[in-house]
Amino acid sequence: MSNAHLDQIKSQALKAFETAQNSQDLYQQKVQFLGKTGALTEAMKLMATLPKEEKPAFGKLVNEVKGELEQAYEKAENALKNKEINSKMLSERLDLTLTPASKEAGKEHPIYRVTNEIFSIMARLGYSLRTGPLIEKDYYNFEALNIPPNHPARDMQDTFFIDGTHVLRTHTSPIQIHSLENEKPPLRVIGTGPVFRVDSDISHLPNFHQIEGMCVDEKVSMSDLKGTISFFVKEFFGPGLKTRFRPSFFPFTEPSAEVDCSCPICKGKGCSLCKQTGWIEIGGCGLINPRVFEFAKIEYPKWQGFAFGFGVERMAIIKYGVDDIRLFPANDVRFLKQF
Amino acid sequence: MKISLKWINDFVDVSEYMNNVQALADILTKAGLEVEEIQNRAADFKNVVVGHIKVKDKHPNADKLSLCQVDIGVGKIEQIVCGAQNHKAGDKVIVALPGAVLPGNFAIKKSKIRDVESNGMLCSLKELGLAESSDGLFILPADAPVGEAYATYGGYDDVTFELKVTPNRADCLSHYGLARELGCLLNKPVKQPEVLTKFVSKSTKDKIKLEVLDTELCPRYTGRYIAGVKVGPSPAWLQKRLEAIGMNSINNVVDVTNYVMLEMGQPLHSFDADLLKGASVKVRKATKGEKFTTLKEQELTMNGDELLICDSEKAVALGGVIGGLNSGVSEKTQNIFLESASFNAMGVRKSSRSHGVETDSAYRFARGVDQSGAMQMSDRAALLIQQVAGGEVYDNAYDIYPKPVTKKPIAITLKTVSDRLGYPADEKLFLAYMKGLQIKVETKAPGEYVMTPPVFRFDIEQDMDLVEEYARLHGYEHIQETIPALKQGPVHHDFDYTMNQRVAQTIRAEGYNQAFNYAFTSDAFENKFITDVTMFRTMGLPMDDKAISIRNPLSEELNVMRRTLIPGLWKNTLENIRSGNSTGSLFEIGSVFSKKENGYQESRRLSLISWGESFGVYASQVPQIYNIKLAFEKLFQSLQITAYTFVQNTGANAPEFVHLGQFAVVMVQGQNVGYIGTAHPGWLNDEKIRVPVALGEINLDAVLNGQPRPVKFKSLSKFQPVERDFAFVMESSKAVGDLMKEAKKSCGAALKEMTVFDIYEGDKLPQGQKSVALRAIFQNQDAALTDADLQSLSQKVIEAAQKSVKAVLR
Repeated sequence: MSNAHLDQIKSQALKAFETAQNSQDLYQQKVQFLGKTGALTEAMKLMATLPKEEKPAFGKLVNEVKGELEQAYEKAENALKNKEINSKMLSERLDLTLTPASKEAGKEHPIYRVTNEIFSIMARLGYSLRTGPLIEKDYYNFEALNIPPNHPARDMQDTFFIDGTHVLRTHTSPIQIHSLENEKPPLRVIGTGPVFRVDSDISHLPNFHQIEGMCVDEKVSMSDLKGTISFFVKEFFGPGLKTRFRPSFFPFTEPSAEVDCSCPICKGKGCSLCKQTGWIEIGGCGLINPRVFEFAKIEYPKWQGFAFGFGVERMAIIKYGVDDIRLFPANDVRFLKQF
Repeated sequence: MKISLKWINDFVDVSEYMNNVQALADILTKAGLEVEEIQNRAADFKNVVVGHIKVKDKHPNADKLSLCQVDIGVGKIEQIVCGAQNHKAGDKVIVALPGAVLPGNFAIKKSKIRDVESNGMLCSLKELGLAESSDGLFILPADAPVGEAYATYGGYDDVTFELKVTPNRADCLSHYGLARELGCLLNKPVKQPEVLTKFVSKSTKDKIKLEVLDTELCPRYTGRYIAGVKVGPSPAWLQKRLEAIGMNSINNVVDVTNYVMLEMGQPLHSFDADLLKGASVKVRKATKGEKFTTLKEQELTMNGDELLICDSEKAVALGGVIGGLNSGVSEKTQNIFLESASFNAMGVRKSSRSHGVETDSAYRFARGVDQSGAMQMSDRAALLIQQVAGGEVYDNAYDIYPKPVTKKPIAITLKTVSDRLGYPADEKLFLAYMKGLQIKVETKAPGEYVMTPPVFRFDIEQDMDLVEEYARLHGYEHIQETIPALKQGPVHHDFDYTMNQRVAQTIRAEGYNQAFNYAFTSDAFENKFITDVTMFRTMGLPMDDKAISIRNPLSEELNVMRRTLIPGLWKNTLENIRSGNSTGSLFEIGSVFSKKENGYQESRRLSLISWGESFGVYASQVPQIYNIKLAFEKLFQSLQITAYTFVQNTGANAPEFVHLGQFAVVMVQGQNVGYIGTAHPGWLNDEKIRVPVALGEINLDAVLNGQPRPVKFKSLSKFQPVERDFAFVMESSKAVGDLMKEAKKSCGAALKEMTVFDIYEGDKLPQGQKSVALRAIFQNQDAALTDADLQSLSQKVIEAAQKSVKAVLR
């Protein structure tokens, strides 16, 4: 028995392990070299025949070869296993160009999306949300807002009548009155919901939505109002947009203003949306008319306030570029899925 | 309101703005008088001049064209090719020269027509946009000055503004009123109108008797007699002025009354004095049922609240609204009775609205006409009538004005102005603005004033109105941007809205898109869905027998307040399918309406609709109705509601539009709250819909009652759950849900979950039988399950199956 013989076994075994085609084959090879009757085991047995002084060296050598072969076997086994699992996985290949019929989540109607967005912006300034009835008493819709019966200001809002004392609310402003009557100032509220006007054409829905805010506090100025709206405009339409007030008239505010913001599409340069003016009208506002406080039995000028209102559909038209207001009540899923 | 700048210029000098009218428009808009449109004919007719045809020859290369040498003034002759036939040498015509842009954006250029140079165009009125149709060129009178701009010659050198006057600014509903405002805005003097001051020494009172019985509705009435007028066409200047702002000329007397209204804001009426029976005028309230025919030949029946102007026999005018057919000024009129009165604003609006008669007069009275000016306006009209129709204006006019109007003084401080605007107001400016507005100022102490507005400013009544005047005249651009400090306590949101949001979120997660439909609907259409109101009430959807109707609906399509949301979603679905959206799901959270004592009730509904079949690779083919059911179940689960069931009453009444075999009533905590169902096959067939549709509606108020329910944590079991599968055979008509309910009851808490994983009907089973495979998961909270426990639980399931639906283990 020589060292050369051991080397031979080693190189034969290494080659056999390396070339084994599968785990089965590899195992056979292992048995052949490392098994109970394997070549290396047989070689071990020869040790008995060696002179005493050669035994330790030979034993060490055999153990080294055994260690090496076992390591080589493990390596080969892992490689084969990997290969096998890979080929199994490849046989399980799925065509990932396919997309299954899906169940997508439904979308928020743009009207509610806008409302909720405005609502969450204003909530950061301390405003809380209020709603109110759609069939409203004439008193809340008009009189308490300083629009007496047979006042020409009623012509500004063509009204649907239910009976002698009830109308379909023409604006969300009655929500302010309910709030003033039922809650104690200081107050910051946002009112929202459907409103109704006898008006139906290419740019008007008879049933549309408004959102409005009211702030009642001990000292409230036009500058506070402008600052608040300006904050809203930047948050809702984008940073850098400017806010502009123009004098106007609403019976429930004094002074009153129409609000423009610089066109979010062209950033004030002029485009078709803003009719080349660079400005877009977004709503009305003003300081709460002392008459309104009088109706609601709120002490004035101890308490003062401002209010503002926007058309929700208009906000959606500006923000999303919707080109036909009639899409809002049509509920076409191709439309709804875009939001 | 249309405003002519030339007319404005009679009172305040705006000539420097004629070449830059936009600047003037901006000043008005900035002051709250929005200019919506500018019409500038002078600019439209740029390079259009009066020409004189010197020579007319035939065009060398075209039979129907002529070649004209046209004098266009300043010694220039231009050669122009013309296609018209009605002109000859020597005619004065309208010439559009290169650079002119005619209506339709038709730009005139130097050109060659059939090889001959043409330097302009001879125009017809149609080509200038001045007539609907024209027969050839417009031939001008022989004295037309050659070379003059046609805009000037034709009287089209005016600019008109379409002004949006808000209801508070009635004082600006006239040329004089606007001139007065401009006087303040431009800091320029305002001229007073000329009025008649000399009358013939005959008394009006000898000719006409006047009695005003209602000084509430008619606080001032003036009347004057004018004898011997010659009614005929108005002179050109008067016609042109009316035309410029879009009013037709009628005759000289009527035109003057209209003119004074447009100029001064005072509506006037002229009666044919000889048609006033008994030579008397009585101003009184109408009696109910009384008839009156307007000059527009509309017969009105009075309701008793109106104010009428009457003679001794009959009504001759509806006060402040419109004159009568029986007493107006016509060609035959010789003597007139001129009315210049003040009528109560609300009274006029009411008369006008209730009879649907809208006139310029009613519009102005409803907004407010300066009572203090009634007599002066009568004198203004008298002057003009005398100028254009002759006649003798009688002295001693009536003027019944028992309570002259005054304005209340308003106390205000400079600090108030600063505080409310949020920036320091300037005292000098403040006082200057107030002076410009003709507001009388009395200084009580430094920065403290008492101010008395002029009577024509109906809108100035309190300190805030003065604050607005300052802000408006100073410019809103001076308003700062500040955010007020938050002083109130924590805020709370409207609970209903918050819950709606949560519900919407859950339903959207199930694939439903949020819809919005009008709160009103068609009564006829809704009634197709609601044939049996009691059935809906029984299902937990309370509703009135009849929908609440709208008094003045837009159309029959939108004439009642809805009682259910389903018809709206149904319509949306049909439109979606017709637009090619073959599958889709919608939901709506909205109000339905009913009557209650002294008012109306609004309650919330949640409705779902889903249509089409899931299509594509790996698509699930679950019948639509289950998707509806699942969405509601998910909602209940998200609301911590466990006691819900879907009760399927075989043979029970279902709504008209629902499939009898695929219909269930939704029950929450022992209370019916709505229904789910597949659409009736007949309904689908009628609409030619070939895809399945399922829907459902629940009473959201009932479901959300007691919300929010707290989430209660249950500790997790440390013991292993055990699965056991069962296969039962049972009659096809029996409900698996009944089996599961019984099994849960019988096993108690140890049965954690039970799931149906297969249902089979077919050849391997007798007709009318189905096999149901169920998996039960058993688990104890406080101990491991022993074999004996499992044995006993399995037995309980088997017995429950037998007991509930006579199912046997397969």
